[in-house]
Amino acid sequence: MSAVRTTSPPLVAPGAAPAPRVQQTTWQRTVRRFRQNPLSMLGLCIVVFFGVVALLAPLLAHPTERNPYMIPHEGYSSDPHPPGPGHPFGTTEEQFDLYYGAVWGTRSALLVALTVVAIGIGVSLVLGSLSGYYGGWMDELVMRVTDIFLAFPGLILAVVIVAVLGQSVRNAMIAIAAVQWPTYTRLLRAEFLRVRDMEFVQAARALGDRDLVIIGRHVIPNTIYPILILASLDMGQIVITFAALSFLGLGAPPGYADWGQLINLSHNWILGTAGDPFQFWYTLAVPGTAIFLFVLGWNLLGDAFRDIFDPRQQGSR
Amino acid sequence: MSTFIARRLLLLPFVAVGVTLLIFSLTQLLTPAMRASLYITDPKQLNALPDIIRKYHLDQPVYVQYWEWLRQVLHGDLGWSETAREPVAIAIAGYFPATFELALYSFACILTLGIWLGTLSAVRKDQLVDHISRFTSISGASLPTFVWGLLLLMIFYGHFGWFPPGRLGLQADLFVRSSRFHPYTGLMTVDTLLNGQWWLFWDALRHLVLPVATLTYFLTAVLVRITRSSMLETLRADYVRTAEAKGLNQSVVIDKHARRNALIPVITLAGLLFVGLLSGVVITETVFNWPGIGRWGVAASQQLDIPAVTGFALAFAGMLVLGNLCADVLYAVVDPRIRLK
Amino acid sequence: MLAGVVVLVVAVLMFGTGARGAAGPIQNPDSLILLTYGDPESLDPAYAYDTTSDGIFWPGIYETLITYDGSVLSRYVPRLATEVPSVANGLISKDGLTYTFPIRQGVHFHDGTVMTPADVQYSMLRFMLQDRDGGPSWLLLTPLLGTDSTRDSKGAVVVKYADAAKAVTVEGQNVVFHLKRPSAAFLSILAAWSFVLPQKWAAAHGGWDGGAATWAKYNNPKLQDRYEFDHTNGTGPFSLQTWDRQTKELILVRNEHYWRAPAPLARVVIRTVTEFAARRLQLQRGDADVISVDRPDQSQVTGMADVAIQDGLPTLVVQVMHFNQKIDASGNPDVGSGKLDGNGIPPDFFSDVHVRRAFSYAFDYGTFIRDGFRGKALQPNGPIIQGLLGYDPTLPKFTFDKQKATAEFKEAWGGKLWDTGFHFTETYNTGNAARQIGAQIIKDSVESLNPKFKIDVRNIQWSTFLQATVQHKGTLYALGWAADYPDPDDFAQPFLATNGDYPKRNGFSDPRADQMVRQGAETADPAKRTQIYRDLTKLAYEDVPGIFEAQPTQFVVMRSWVRGWYYNAILPPLANVGFDFYTMSKQ
Repeated sequence: MSAVRTTSPPLVAPGAAPAPRVQQTTWQRTVRRFRQNPLSMLGLCIVVFFGVVALLAPLLAHPTERNPYMIPHEGYSSDPHPPGPGHPFGTTEEQFDLYYGAVWGTRSALLVALTVVAIGIGVSLVLGSLSGYYGGWMDELVMRVTDIFLAFPGLILAVVIVAVLGQSVRNAMIAIAAVQWPTYTRLLRAEFLRVRDMEFVQAARALGDRDLVIIGRHVIPNTIYPILILASLDMGQIVITFAALSFLGLGAPPGYADWGQLINLSHNWILGTAGDPFQFWYTLAVPGTAIFLFVLGWNLLGDAFRDIFDPRQQGSR
Repeated sequence: MSTFIARRLLLLPFVAVGVTLLIFSLTQLLTPAMRASLYITDPKQLNALPDIIRKYHLDQPVYVQYWEWLRQVLHGDLGWSETAREPVAIAIAGYFPATFELALYSFACILTLGIWLGTLSAVRKDQLVDHISRFTSISGASLPTFVWGLLLLMIFYGHFGWFPPGRLGLQADLFVRSSRFHPYTGLMTVDTLLNGQWWLFWDALRHLVLPVATLTYFLTAVLVRITRSSMLETLRADYVRTAEAKGLNQSVVIDKHARRNALIPVITLAGLLFVGLLSGVVITETVFNWPGIGRWGVAASQQLDIPAVTGFALAFAGMLVLGNLCADVLYAVVDPRIRLK
Repeated sequence: MLAGVVVLVVAVLMFGTGARGAAGPIQNPDSLILLTYGDPESLDPAYAYDTTSDGIFWPGIYETLITYDGSVLSRYVPRLATEVPSVANGLISKDGLTYTFPIRQGVHFHDGTVMTPADVQYSMLRFMLQDRDGGPSWLLLTPLLGTDSTRDSKGAVVVKYADAAKAVTVEGQNVVFHLKRPSAAFLSILAAWSFVLPQKWAAAHGGWDGGAATWAKYNNPKLQDRYEFDHTNGTGPFSLQTWDRQTKELILVRNEHYWRAPAPLARVVIRTVTEFAARRLQLQRGDADVISVDRPDQSQVTGMADVAIQDGLPTLVVQVMHFNQKIDASGNPDVGSGKLDGNGIPPDFFSDVHVRRAFSYAFDYGTFIRDGFRGKALQPNGPIIQGLLGYDPTLPKFTFDKQKATAEFKEAWGGKLWDTGFHFTETYNTGNAARQIGAQIIKDSVESLNPKFKIDVRNIQWSTFLQATVQHKGTLYALGWAADYPDPDDFAQPFLATNGDYPKRNGFSDPRADQMVRQGAETADPAKRTQIYRDLTKLAYEDVPGIFEAQPTQFVVMRSWVRGWYYNAILPPLANVGFDFYTMSKQ
C-alpha cells in the first residue's frame, strides 16, 4: 500500500445521486488542516502561549526599575543561585532574576522579531512591487542591490552595523533587518512576477485600473502567503541571531530582559564546577527552554502554513 | 553555456565594488575617534588619541579614504589588518583553509544527514518517523550555536577527553611546524595523509569532530525541510504514481525516479548552504578556538578593522558568486529541461 | 553510508587516547602551556605598551640592566649590569643626576653575537627616539630629556639627537645616564624598561643604525614597519621560535647559551583562547598548565583536582570612578537637559566639591569589594596605594555613609540641588563585570537618598568610549590605572598633577598638587618622600578627583605539577599575574 496519501473524492456507486460538493472556504480548510496535524497544533499552541505571556508580562512579573525591561536584582554577587524562595527560576550571575527575565524576555523576543519582520515586509513591499511589477531597469537595480547585501555573511554584516551604530537593542534590530530584507524582497518580487501575468491582473489593466489599485487589491492579497511562511520561519531565526549578537557583546545590554542576553550571561556557567558539571543547570535551562520552544513553535507554524498554502503541495484535494 | 558563465562572472566586479561601497558608507557614520579605537588598546594611550588620528589619516573624508584604499587594491595590496597583525591578503589566505576544511566536512555531513532524513520524512509523511525526524532537525536550530558547542565540549572533552578543542594537539602542532612536514593544501586532514603521517591524521580528525557535529546539528534542519517538501512534490507527480501503479517496488521508485528529480532544488540550496556555512562558522570557531576566517572576521568587525572587514567581504563575495555559478551549472547538468539563458 | 560514518567515529574513538584520568603522569613535562585571553600587539620592546606583549618578552626574551629582587619591589639585583648603582658605591652621583652602570661581559644575544655597552646605549636611545604614539617611550624620555614626547602637539619633531646622545653615554665598559632633573624613581623605571637588543642586527634589518642624521626617519613607526615587531634577538633565557598569528600561538624555546645556567623548561607555549570554557576544560584535563581566569569565574576552578590556586596576591592597580568637571554638553545624550533643573546636569556639575564628596560617601565600598572582587580587594584612601612608598592606612578615607552623603548633597549648589534633583547617565565599558557593578551600586545608592535623583546606567563599546573621552563627554565613568613602575610618582602624577592624564581629561587642577608631585619625584630621601606622598593623599581626600573604589588582589591558577613560580607585582600579567619562566619547571 502506498504511503503517500491522496484525498480524492469518494467513488460513487453507479446510479446513486451525486454527493453534494461542499465548498470549503480557505479559512475552514486551514482549520481542518491544522487539526489534522498534531505538530501544527503544537506550534500554534506554543505561539499563542507566548503571546499571552507577553501581554500579561506586567502582571506576571511586576517591574521595579524605571525601564521595565531591566531585570531587578538583589545584590551583585557573581555566583548564580538555584531556584528558591523569591526566585522561582533562580538567578544568573549578578543576581538577575531568571523568572522576570523569562517573562519579560517573551515581550522583547516578540517585539524584536515582529519589528524586524515588519521592516522586512515593509521594505520588500515597496522594492519588491516596484521590481516585480514594473520590471526593466528598476528590477535590475533592485536585484543588484540585493545581490550586494546577500554577498555578505549575515552575522558579519550585522556585527559591523551594530559596531558602527553603537550597541543597543534598537540598533541590533536595524542590523538584523538589514540582513533579512533581501530575502523578503526577492521572494515578493518572484511572487509579483508570477501574479502579474495572470489573467485577472491583465483584465484589470485592460479595464484601465490604476497601477496602485491593482497592486493593492489584486496582486498583494495573492502573494502574501509565501511571505507569511517566510516570516513565521524567520521569527525564530531572528531571535537566534539576536542571541548570537549578545554573545558577541553587541546585542542587548547586560541585565536587559532578553533570552539571548540571559543565555549569554550563562555561557561561562554552562560547565558548572569541576565536581558538578550541572551545578548551574538553571542558568541555561530557563532561557534555553524559552528560546527552544519559541523557535520550535514558529518553525512548526511556518511548516504548517507551508503545508496549507503552498500551491505546489495542494495537489489533489 | 560559456556566454552564461561569462555573464555571471561579469557580476563579480560589480558586486565587489558594491560590497566595498557598502562598508565604506557605513564607516561614514564613524567619527575619527571611533576609528582610532582600533589602535588604542589601553587607557594609558588615550592621550595619544589626536596623534593617532593624525598618523593614520583617520580624519580624512570618507571618499578620500575610499580612493586611497582603492588605489592600494588595484596595486594588489589589500592593506594591513590590525586585528590579524598581518597583511589582509596573507590573513585571508592563512585563515581560509582552516574554515574550508571545517565547512567541507560539515557540508558532507549535513548533505548526507539532511537528504536521508528529508527523504525518510517525505516517504513516511505524517507518521511518527516524520514527526521525530522533523522535530530533531528543528531542535538543532532552536538554540544558539555556542550552547550546543559548549555542551558537546563539556561532555566529549571535559568528561571523556575524546575530542579536544583547537586544531591540533601539542605534539602534532610541533611536528607540523618542523621542517619534517610539508604543507600542501592547508587542510590538515589532507596534508597529513600526503605526508604519510597517520597519527597526525587521527589527531587532526579528532579535533574536527566536535565543531563539525555542532555545525551539522545546527544546519541540518534547513536541508531536511527542503528535501522533504521537494520529495513530496515529486512523489505526487504523475510519473511516480504511474510507476507505483505498475507495481514497481517502492524503494526502487524512490531511488531511481523520485530522488534524482527531488534533488534539483536541493543542489541549488546546497550551493547556498556551503557559502552560508562559511558565515555560520563564526561562533563555532570562537567556541572551539578554531583558527578560521569566521573568528577573525567577527573580531575585525567588532573592533572596526576596516581594511580587514573590506578584504574579508571581498573574498566572501567572490566565493559567493562563484558558488552560485557552480550551483547553476550543476543544476543545468542534472536537469536537461533547464536551458541556460 | 550511515554505517560507514559510525565505523569511522568508533575507529577514531578507539585510536584516540581515550579517557584520561585527571590525575596521572605529567603531560608534556618539558613544556609549559599557558592559555591567556588577550593577544600580544608587538614583540618590539620599544613599541609594545600592552601587558600581554611585555609579559611575553620580559623577562623571558629581553632582559634589563637591573631588576627587582624576586618578589621584593624595593630591592634590586643586577642583570645585564654587574652592579646596582647607589650613592654608597659611588655609581650614583651626589646630585642624583648621573647613574653609572658597569655592563656585564660574556653575554650573548640569541644570534650568537656578544653584547657590548654600545648595544646598551643604542637600545636606550632607540627606546626613547622611536617614540611611537601611545607607546612607552615617555618613561625614559621624562627623566632623561625632561619631556614626555619627541614631538610637539602638531607632530613635528622637537627633540635633538645631540641631547639624547648626551643623556646616555658609553664610557669604557660602563653606560652612563645623565638626567636633567633628579628622579627618585629612576632605578625603578630602569628595572622594568631598560631592554637591550643588538645594534648591528637591528640596523641590518631595516632599523635605525644609531647614527645622528638618520634617527628622525625611524621616529613614530607603524606596527608593521619594524622588523622587531615579530622577530626577536635578546639575551634572555628563552628565544622566540614561532609567533603564529593565525593559530594565536607563541612558542619560546630554551636558550642553551644563556649567560646564567640554562632554564629547566625546554619550551614555553603561550596560546590565546578567548573562550573561558575551553581554557578551563584544558586545565582540567592537564592539556594546559596555567590559564587566565576572571574573578567572577573563580568558583568554577576552586576545588579542581590537581590544580593549585594562590590568592591574595597584592597588585599595584587601582580602580577609580572619575568625575568629569568640564563636561561637553553639546550633542551629549548623558547630561539630559544640560541644566540644573531636575532633568539633567550642567557641564560643571561635578566641579562642586560637595557633589563629589556626596558621591564618595554614597558609594558602598564594602559591597563593591565583596561582590565585584569576591572580597579580595582593599579600599584605597587615595592614589597612593598599598605597596608604594608613602602609603599610610591611617590617613582618612571615605566610608559608605548615607547620612553624610545626604548632608553633602544638601549643601551642594548652594542648597538648591536637594530640591531640584538631577538626572544623568553614567557609562561603563562593555565587558567589565566589576565596573558594571560599581556603576549599579552608585545608581542604587544615590537614588535611594532622594527620589529626585535619577541616574541611568549605559554600557558603551570601546570605540564609543574613546569618542566620548576625546570630546570630554563622559560624566561619571570608571577607569583603572596599573603601575608602570613601583613608585608613588607613577600614581601621583597621572591623578593629581595638572598635566597628568586624568586631570587633563576631567578638568581637575590644583596648583598645590603640582608642586608636591614634582618635589616627590625629585627628592631622594625616602623619609621626605613619604611625608610628601602622605600630604598628597590628604590633598586627594580634600579635593576628591575621583572615587577610589578598590585596589584588587589577584589569584593565579596552575596545575599542581608546576614549580618555581614566584610572584612579582610589576611583571606584566599574562594570565592574571606575571611569570618569570626562567625559574619554573614541571615536577
